[in-house]
Amino acid sequence: MTTRYPASNTNFSIFFIVSIILHLAVLLLMIWWTKLFPFQMTIQEAYYVDVVNLPVAAPRSGSPTQKGNDNEAPTPPPRPAVPENMAVPAPPQKSTRTTKQLPAVKSHEKTSTPAEPDEFAERMAKLAGKAESQQQEAALERIRRKMTTSGSGRSGMPGASGNEAGSSYSAYIQSRLKDAFRETISYTSKQPEVLIRLVIGADGRISRKKIEQSSGDRSFELAALRAIDIASEKFPPPPGHRDFEGVFVFRPQGISNGGKL
Amino acid sequence: MALLTGAGLVVKLVLILLIFFSVVSWAIILFKLFQVHRANSESDRFMDFFWKSKRFDAIASQVDRFANSPLTVLFNEGYGELKKVVNDHGPSEGGALSTDLGGIENVSRALRRATNSEITRLEKYLTFLATTGSTSPFIGLFGTVWGIMTAFEGIGKTGSASLAVVAPGIAEALIATAIGLVAAIPAVMAYNHFQHKIRVLINEMDSFSTEFLNIVQRNIAGK
Repeated sequence: MTTRYPASNTNFSIFFIVSIILHLAVLLLMIWWTKLFPFQMTIQEAYYVDVVNLPVAAPRSGSPTQKGNDNEAPTPPPRPAVPENMAVPAPPQKSTRTTKQLPAVKSHEKTSTPAEPDEFAERMAKLAGKAESQQQEAALERIRRKMTTSGSGRSGMPGASGNEAGSSYSAYIQSRLKDAFRETISYTSKQPEVLIRLVIGADGRISRKKIEQSSGDRSFELAALRAIDIASEKFPPPPGHRDFEGVFVFRPQGISNGGKL
Repeated sequence: MALLTGAGLVVKLVLILLIFFSVVSWAIILFKLFQVHRANSESDRFMDFFWKSKRFDAIASQVDRFANSPLTVLFNEGYGELKKVVNDHGPSEGGALSTDLGGIENVSRALRRATNSEITRLEKYLTFLATTGSTSPFIGLFGTVWGIMTAFEGIGKTGSASLAVVAPGIAEALIATAIGLVAAIPAVMAYNHFQHKIRVLINEMDSFSTEFLNIVQRNIAGK
């Protein structure tokens, strides 16, 4: 019935071939382009900086040496707490006791205030005496504590007493290390802690030192090792001519004896 | 090129399928461009010729010049039907169709049939463009997912998850999506373009049919 269709239906294959040629041309163009400008995937390594453990000087947070060793810190001087209300009269027998201690003050007070000179002088003298006695007590306490920590009665010398050989010796080594270490501390991190095993030979020289547990703070460990080097120059030989071995825990606050572990 | 050759088997199959889709859809695009362009230009020329001519038989003798126009097909169909109707009724009635309108109805049916067949012819292969446009991104996505799966398997085997291990596998996988999109985008654009063009041609065919019937009826009524 249909008289005729246009002839263009038959030549679809021509367009198919044209399309294939077109795609091949695009492919060749791509190959040529990649040859001309080679595609390279450059992968850059990522570097991560640990900001937390980075040794940064922080003067505001304070030097650890100021924080550490509370028992070595000097006691604050007694305040000259002058009471404002001087009306309360002191007992007369006390004044006789204190007058001889501070005569200069008393004479001075006498000249300035003739109305209540004796009472004020008494009060001042009493306070001064109290402060003095407190200071003396604190110093005594400090010495006592030092003696107890050093293990033996004689501080600064290795004691041979004790059941376990080397127990007091290790305390002595600890105290020497502590003294040396305080000078060499050069770290800024908050709570580093490094365990160092020391083996001291019979001649008093360190035969082996080993970091048992790292703190992660390189400068702190270097400081601890330097402290050991400084202190080891003056180590006496261990008692009984036996090798001494002990682990010491280095902290910013000081050094504690880790025992033999 | 290393991206194409280094891909896995499934990804390669997906790529081949997508390239096939692209080749066929571009063939259809070019074919339709050619077909629609010729149909439009020859229709314009045919309409000029149609309005200048006085007689249908004069047009019918010249109609081969506009072979690619759908209007030509319509004219041929309508003219053929008209001739048959006139021949059937014969010159006994004086060549008049005025008494019974069945002859005009026949011509109208013939024109409608020709219009439908021409629409079918013009819309041929366009469904493939629509299919390519809608499915090839998904096919590409399937290749990508598969490639990434195999890439992760490789990562699990090597145990290292550095960029140097992960990146090439994912790049190989992603090329499937890229080619899927490259195939789909021209197909969708061409599909929409040809839909519009063919709608214009259908409108032209409808108006030509109406015009043809008007002329037929006017001539018969005038007789």
